[in-house]
Amino acid sequence: MRKITICNLLLLFVLIPGTLFLGTRLSGRWYYLTSTMMIVEIMIPFFLAFETRRPQARELVTLAVMCALAVASRVVMLIPNFKPMTAIVMITGIALGPQSGFVCGAVGAFASNFFFSQGPWTPWQMMAYGFAGFLAGGLFHKRFRLRNPAALAVWGFFTIVLVIGPLLDCCTVFTVSSRITWKYALAVFTAGFAYNVQHGLACAVTLLLFSKPLLSKLERLKRKYGMMDAG
Amino acid sequence: MAHFHIQDLTFSYPGANRPTLSGVNLTIEKGEYVVLCGKSGSGKTSLLRHLKSVLTPYGSRSGQVLFDGTPLEQVSQYDQSRKIGFVMQNPDEQLVTDKVWHELAFGLENLGVHQKTIRLRVAEMASYFGLQDWFDREVATLSGGQKQLLNLASIMAMQPQVLILDEPTSQLDPIAASDFLNTVRKINIELGTTIIITEHRLEDIYHSADRVVVMEEGRVIASDGPRQVGSLLWQQNSPMFAALPTPTRVFYQSGAEGACPLTVREGRSWLTKTFENRSLTVLEPDMEPEAPKTRENALRIQEGWFRYEKQGQDVLRGVNLEVPKGCIFAIVGGNGAGKSTTLKTICGICKPYRGKVEIFGKPIKSYGASLYRGCVAMLPQDPKSLFVGKTLREDLREMCREEGPIQAVAETCEITHLLDSHPYDLSGGEQQRAALAKVLLTNPKLLLLDEPTKGLDSFFKGKFAEILKKLKAEGITIILVSHDVEFCAEYADLVGMFFDGQIVTIDTPHRFFGQNSFYTTAANRMSRCVFQNAVTAEDVSELYRKNLEGTR
Amino acid sequence: MRYDAFSKCHPLTNFLFFLGAIGFCVVIQHPLYLAVGGMGAGGYFLLLKGNAGWKQIAGLIPVFLLIAGLNPLLNTYGEHLLFTVFDRPYTLEALYYGMAVAGMFVVMILWFRCYSMVLTSDKFVCLFGSLIPALSLLLVMVLRMIPNLGRKGKQIADARTCIGKGVTGGNSTKEKIAGGMQVLSALTDWALEGSIVTADAMRSRGYGTAKRTSFRIYRMTARDWMLIGAMAVLAGGVLLAGGTGATFTPELWIAPPTWGLAAYGAFLLIPIVLYLEEAVQWHISISRI
Repeated sequence: MRKITICNLLLLFVLIPGTLFLGTRLSGRWYYLTSTMMIVEIMIPFFLAFETRRPQARELVTLAVMCALAVASRVVMLIPNFKPMTAIVMITGIALGPQSGFVCGAVGAFASNFFFSQGPWTPWQMMAYGFAGFLAGGLFHKRFRLRNPAALAVWGFFTIVLVIGPLLDCCTVFTVSSRITWKYALAVFTAGFAYNVQHGLACAVTLLLFSKPLLSKLERLKRKYGMMDAG
Repeated sequence: MAHFHIQDLTFSYPGANRPTLSGVNLTIEKGEYVVLCGKSGSGKTSLLRHLKSVLTPYGSRSGQVLFDGTPLEQVSQYDQSRKIGFVMQNPDEQLVTDKVWHELAFGLENLGVHQKTIRLRVAEMASYFGLQDWFDREVATLSGGQKQLLNLASIMAMQPQVLILDEPTSQLDPIAASDFLNTVRKINIELGTTIIITEHRLEDIYHSADRVVVMEEGRVIASDGPRQVGSLLWQQNSPMFAALPTPTRVFYQSGAEGACPLTVREGRSWLTKTFENRSLTVLEPDMEPEAPKTRENALRIQEGWFRYEKQGQDVLRGVNLEVPKGCIFAIVGGNGAGKSTTLKTICGICKPYRGKVEIFGKPIKSYGASLYRGCVAMLPQDPKSLFVGKTLREDLREMCREEGPIQAVAETCEITHLLDSHPYDLSGGEQQRAALAKVLLTNPKLLLLDEPTKGLDSFFKGKFAEILKKLKAEGITIILVSHDVEFCAEYADLVGMFFDGQIVTIDTPHRFFGQNSFYTTAANRMSRCVFQNAVTAEDVSELYRKNLEGTR
Repeated sequence: MRYDAFSKCHPLTNFLFFLGAIGFCVVIQHPLYLAVGGMGAGGYFLLLKGNAGWKQIAGLIPVFLLIAGLNPLLNTYGEHLLFTVFDRPYTLEALYYGMAVAGMFVVMILWFRCYSMVLTSDKFVCLFGSLIPALSLLLVMVLRMIPNLGRKGKQIADARTCIGKGVTGGNSTKEKIAGGMQVLSALTDWALEGSIVTADAMRSRGYGTAKRTSFRIYRMTARDWMLIGAMAVLAGGVLLAGGTGATFTPELWIAPPTWGLAAYGAFLLIPIVLYLEEAVQWHISISRI
């Protein structure tokens, strides 16, 4: 445990400020590289925690199924632009905890890009989806009473419109702007707003209809595993 | 020293009112090839799972299992993973990684084996099992048979001393299944690995077993050589008798005495010897009347052409097919010949780009969505595709709100006692019947079945056939696609052979299988040297008896 | 993807090349460097894709125009006024800047597309398998499951169609969502049930009994070391030679090119040179027969 703490402290107090410092001092267009490196550095502690936990076979498989389901859910829905991925990542976070939620989102985003194409957006998507799972897990994992579909739907909608969507839009800001200004950022966010609302609605609808069944399916699985565990 | 020594093992699942295993005593020697058989639910799988600690189910248990003389729980997990290989039913779910080479290496990686050693072992396995050509491929592109072979190879890469196989071929087609079982046999003979295997399809392995262990209701009721077990099951009038290979069954049902034949070859020489110096009075079984031509058709396909991709190969190449109303029509044929595609064409999922499909005299296009309301319905190959509810009742309610029809259908399919279980907690045969119930709630007049006997044991097959007969009596036309020649010979009214994108011949089972010499039932293959057109075990034993009586 | 010599090199060689190519592309805004980058990326992309690649490259032109044209709207610095939009100046310098950014973006996308084709998942796992064992195992498991789930999802949808529960074109959005959710639900049941078997298979094959090693089928060869050495020298050349600077607003200034540009070009040409080298070798060996 000590080792990770040191690692995390180093990251937080040396590497991230260092990147920021270097990024602002160098001439040329370093925004994208600096911001992406920071994103990657922020993700490292989450991944480290997952690695050092040495996940059990069952945990790993369940997580893999949820990741794959999040990615494949796109294929199942016949409505264009209706992507239940974020909702499934959130439910994973709720059922298995914030850390697993983060890993589910990040790995899901990374894996889905193997089927489309990796791009400058990959780390940002990993971060954004990972965060979606982490936040939902942090709020609802231990609070069973809050877990009603309507509350989840509202939560899902607002996290996407206010946090996840803008985070994804940041990638656009950093890659295609010649000069980062508040005006520019605001323009991109406004342009992305309609899309984010659509994304948020899809997520809310999925959570409303699917959160309860999916959570109970995961519960059933836990029971089934539990029966085998004790033996 | 015995390899496995099972002493007085009794086990029950939590909440069960009777033990799954009771007082099992069994010794398995090194290098033995042991076939374990029994009806579904007789405790075979539970027994096998007790031979490896990580797989042992939770419940109360007494007695113990010794591995090489040491109680199994004292053997470290590391050693168990290395020395005891376990192959399960589903080819797909056992795979862990996405690439063939990675799958082969997976077990060795877990054991922390060094890079160089893994390289060597993986190369060795790929060569031994003939996987070189698909070494770099993604596992998703493999066929079911290849996947199961890969599972076997990746377990063999760990060089186990015992190989336990739990119905490894139940999801495979007959050709892939016998390939797989031959490889298992080869491993036993060439490497001396101990084999413990359970199977539905005993024809392929029964004769090569050193020992057959029969289980019934959690007990071992027989454990002996295959011939001895055959005679024992016959004497005890055991339900497991029905699962024995055809030659053995024919032998006992005919009332013959002596050492029973186990293979078609042995059965053939037994029949030839018996009738060597006798003249035959009856040559053929009673034949069905020829199929009448004038009856009304439930289905007519005329020159159906279809392909999946614009640039792809044609899967259906001018299919012509007429199915008379009220019969059970079986389509047989090899893999990838287009049988399943034909079914999809009939239920409107695949639309032929040329040709006509008529259902009950009306073109399929004129039905629209009403095709699935009280007209056509299909039972998919994997019954699990239909389950969405938490209980079976919930699932049936998705189709129909009223209680009456649900009860009626549940009764027909004999699942009334299962209505409150989770669909995934049922056994394969029960799932099949549950899915059928769901399909029947659409009140189809034309029922399509895709490989309905896949993974079912002889007992469940019989039960399923009874249900089909009931449905036929109600006037439902049934079209089924199957690899199971025996099943089609026994229960179908008409059989059609699919080959190269077309239906080649259609005839009644006796005429159809009587004419074939390879693609036919074991009973026909063994009896064709003496009798004509005998296709089921019952046909052969009846002819045997009639002719012996005639000459006496 | 077509045959390519560079893809056959060790993943580390591939990875370092793309790290260099994409890294330089992102930070250097000198127009000549950009042009060289575009040629390198476009050339390699066409090599990998064949003629089908032209269509995809053409698809990037609107993206280029959009980014280039929009930039001056938000960045109003610059001396040469072209016209005014919404009372804001639209300057030539800002347009040039926009073109540089757009070019950078397009080149980056091309490099990433090449990356996706060359650095497949098993190469990624080979590189990072021992650094992040649990995550890379998770990744390969997910990659195995995705096509399976896709296929099964289709099967479930078909099976439901055949019992009259299908979701076809004419239905309302509400029905489509409800139908999709049912399929998703059935798919989840199926996948989670399968996961029990997978977990058993993993444990049965010794997962968690020892410290996992990570098997690599790729081996570093002398040629790989040579290539890495060459890349290091050329990349060092680009960094040391300087002359990569360029500012667009408020005033256009472009550093005179140095020999660093040549080093940059040489660096980016590595995959193409390897391809040509192998093609020539092959040709010679055939003509000898």
